[in-house]
Amino acid sequence: MSRQLGAARHGRAALSLGAAALMALTACTSTKNDDGSGGGGTGGTPAKALTIGTTDQVTSLDPAGSWDAGSGTIEDEVYATLLSPRNGSSDVKPNLASAIRLTGPKEYTVTLKPGLTFANGHELTSSDVVFSFNRQLRIADKNGPSSLLYNLASVAAPNPGTAVFTLKSANDTLFPQVLSTAAGYIADEQVFPADTILDDTAVVAAKPWDGPYAISTYQKNSLVSFTANSGYKGLLGTPKTSHVQLKYYTDASNLKLDVQQGTIDAVYRTLTVTDLQDLATKKDLTVHTGSGNGIRFIVFNFKTQPYGSATKQADPAKALAVRQAVADSVDRAQLADQVYKNTFQPLYGSVPDGITGATPALKALYGDKKGGPDKAAAAKALSDAGVPTPVTLNLQYNTDHYGSSSADEYALIKSQLEATGLFKVKLQSTEWAQYGKDRVADLYPLYQLGWYADYLDADDYLASFYAANSWVNNGYSDPAVKALIQREETETDPAARTALIQQAQDKVAASVPLLPLLQGSTAIVTRAGVTGVPAKLDSAYQFRWAELGKR
Amino acid sequence: MTTLVQEAPGAVGRTGGATGSGLLRYLVIRFLLIIPTVLVLVSVVFFLMHASGDPITTAFGDRLTPQQLHAKLHQAGYDRPLLTQYLDYLRSLGHGDFGRTATDNQAVSRMLRTYGAATAELAAYAMAVALAVGVPLGMVAAAHRDRAPDVALRLFAILNYATPVFFLGLLLKLVFAVWLGWLPTSGRSGIDVQLELENQTSTTGIYLLDAVRSGDGSAVADVLRHAVLPGVALGLLVAGVLLRLVRTNLIGTLSAEYVEAARSRGVGPFRLVTRHATRPALIPVVTVLGLQVAGLLGGAVLTETTFEWKGLGFELAHYLTVRDYAAVQGIVALFAVVVAVTNFLVDVAAALIDPRVRY
Repeated sequence: MSRQLGAARHGRAALSLGAAALMALTACTSTKNDDGSGGGGTGGTPAKALTIGTTDQVTSLDPAGSWDAGSGTIEDEVYATLLSPRNGSSDVKPNLASAIRLTGPKEYTVTLKPGLTFANGHELTSSDVVFSFNRQLRIADKNGPSSLLYNLASVAAPNPGTAVFTLKSANDTLFPQVLSTAAGYIADEQVFPADTILDDTAVVAAKPWDGPYAISTYQKNSLVSFTANSGYKGLLGTPKTSHVQLKYYTDASNLKLDVQQGTIDAVYRTLTVTDLQDLATKKDLTVHTGSGNGIRFIVFNFKTQPYGSATKQADPAKALAVRQAVADSVDRAQLADQVYKNTFQPLYGSVPDGITGATPALKALYGDKKGGPDKAAAAKALSDAGVPTPVTLNLQYNTDHYGSSSADEYALIKSQLEATGLFKVKLQSTEWAQYGKDRVADLYPLYQLGWYADYLDADDYLASFYAANSWVNNGYSDPAVKALIQREETETDPAARTALIQQAQDKVAASVPLLPLLQGSTAIVTRAGVTGVPAKLDSAYQFRWAELGKR
Repeated sequence: MTTLVQEAPGAVGRTGGATGSGLLRYLVIRFLLIIPTVLVLVSVVFFLMHASGDPITTAFGDRLTPQQLHAKLHQAGYDRPLLTQYLDYLRSLGHGDFGRTATDNQAVSRMLRTYGAATAELAAYAMAVALAVGVPLGMVAAAHRDRAPDVALRLFAILNYATPVFFLGLLLKLVFAVWLGWLPTSGRSGIDVQLELENQTSTTGIYLLDAVRSGDGSAVADVLRHAVLPGVALGLLVAGVLLRLVRTNLIGTLSAEYVEAARSRGVGPFRLVTRHATRPALIPVVTVLGLQVAGLLGGAVLTETTFEWKGLGFELAHYLTVRDYAAVQGIVALFAVVVAVTNFLVDVAAALIDPRVRY
């Protein structure tokens, strides 16, 4: 007995020693910096660096190779456009440009500010402007924003300070807005190849920055640090915070914990609704919600959906009936309430409410005609077209781009559809990096997508989805809709233009190439002491780092 | 009696066993066995990966025109016969060239160096935890054979082994990071420390070493704080195995004749365990530790994902999801080499410790 007690005593001593060492380690290292950033203080790193956390992923830092939120978050800060929207407004103002003039029905002339340079010291001239736009059109990457340049015929540089844009159609009043989008980043022609995408490492090494910030350290999808670009002469002026760090998370719960504990100062995309509700109750955190220019929808691939053109049982009438029956069956209000706690609102048209021309075109056509679902209507649509039930739907969604609540959203959609007895839904999710490629390769018959406006105009919700070379790329093509879009883009009478926008929506609603579900905006979370984020995000949903400060 | 004590397993080599040339031959054979082991693993991975198409088409097929795609395939050599590609791949591997990742076009060898260091660091922490927990607790359990502490510790070992590592990780995070707020929730270091370490002119990629080299005490402390939870989560996975192994071996050696002899000479229980029984009992532990390396690498995938510990496990999970075959192949090849080399080193250690295992 005494032997065993002796050994036990030694065992306990060892355990106690280990526990004490762990506690000592914890105690001596748990102090946080004054700025609440935690971790040890380091030489050479500014104390007031602002750290933003995100679950988004970067696809590419090449402006021609990406058009997604994750890449755009960085690109918006390190590249600049000729024109840019002011905060809280959809009006665009000169950014790298000093002036823009309509010099003909199909011609815009842009004058550059003098003495513009990239962060690498290269001069920024109209030659770079011509190069940038030609490059977008030439590469026309399916995941890039070149489709926004649908009306650009050519661009010329009569002198180093002037660029002249010639359009395909006259009276395009939207073109200045297009210049402010991701398709309008000015790229350094001495850095980027004219016809291929440059990889991130090469981009970072060459320092082709002309935006408010320059990348100083780049660990892709891990940690990126930025310093104010002293050469930037754009609309936003000198950033209020000289150092910003962007930390990437794969797990939204880690992101939530870190903002809660003060490891990061702000969250920009994406936390779950439950997390946001929880964080909203914490006194040292602010949850900023936005108005609803973001939309969520299901896309039908016209080739591969049931009875799609590339399937063995191709039948346009039956394919349409399936789309209509799905539209009859989904309960948007339930999605908004149960999944998003009404932080998102039901959406019944392609254009979100509040934007001129928006109309709830699907409401009167589908379900109970009041916005609710109707099993009988769905059954009738299918039986009228001779579609045997249940119809199998292969539905894809994504969890790392539109927030992890997407899993709940699509589980509920599956449940709603199957509750009618008319559908058998096979759900699958894929990471965004692959999702973007797969969807344009026609691998997904039905799939989730979302959209934030590049510019606050109904056209951005129509041309991007239904015009020629649309970003959605689902095989939908209706010459009448295209004609309507083309006409609204060049219609100068506001009332006539609104009517055209509504006609386009009504026409599209009848064939349901995509099914609008929800509208709203992803929230931003900041810790106390972070300034520069409007308490209520404006309709343009702008989160510009140059405006951010940290007390 | 004295003779019996001297003939404990650790001393056998001095009285018999193989000659120096026998040891050398054994080591050479064991070393040469690394080659077929790695070759088989790498080949299996290569052919499995290529069975579902080439990485270029998978990654870019939808974004390039057929001409561009063909040019890219030709440039990367994916339009050649599979056997030629296989032989070239092996040749490249022989030169340490793992190719480039298909999705983000970075050198796989660079990726392996960067993230391999992170995984090696985590594995080292885990092994330290496993030894620190498993060996002493195994000794305690053996000393209390079939009594309450022994039963409790065996239950602890079984629970450890049976609990999925990600679940344990989440549990530890919930208690020590969320409820108590003692430790960070994720990452290898604080953000400022990460930037400081990554910006050093010469880095090993092992944060603790880099932090020590930087001379910044707070950076060292920060790195250690971040290591505690993932290290414990992964380490406990192995600790359970060690606990049971040490207990079993120790019980065996405690009942050996030479130990009984020592006991009869009046050697105290603590000295009996630590001085006479532990060393021979630990010899099999060395072998098992080698085998546990493969388990650690597997566990690292889940631990790194849970704690956002950006190492090879984290990257493997990512690249598998985006179907980047070049990256996956590289990581798996490295894992194969690590497991094979570790087992070789274990064999060497075992041979040096106990000459009975030699040929």
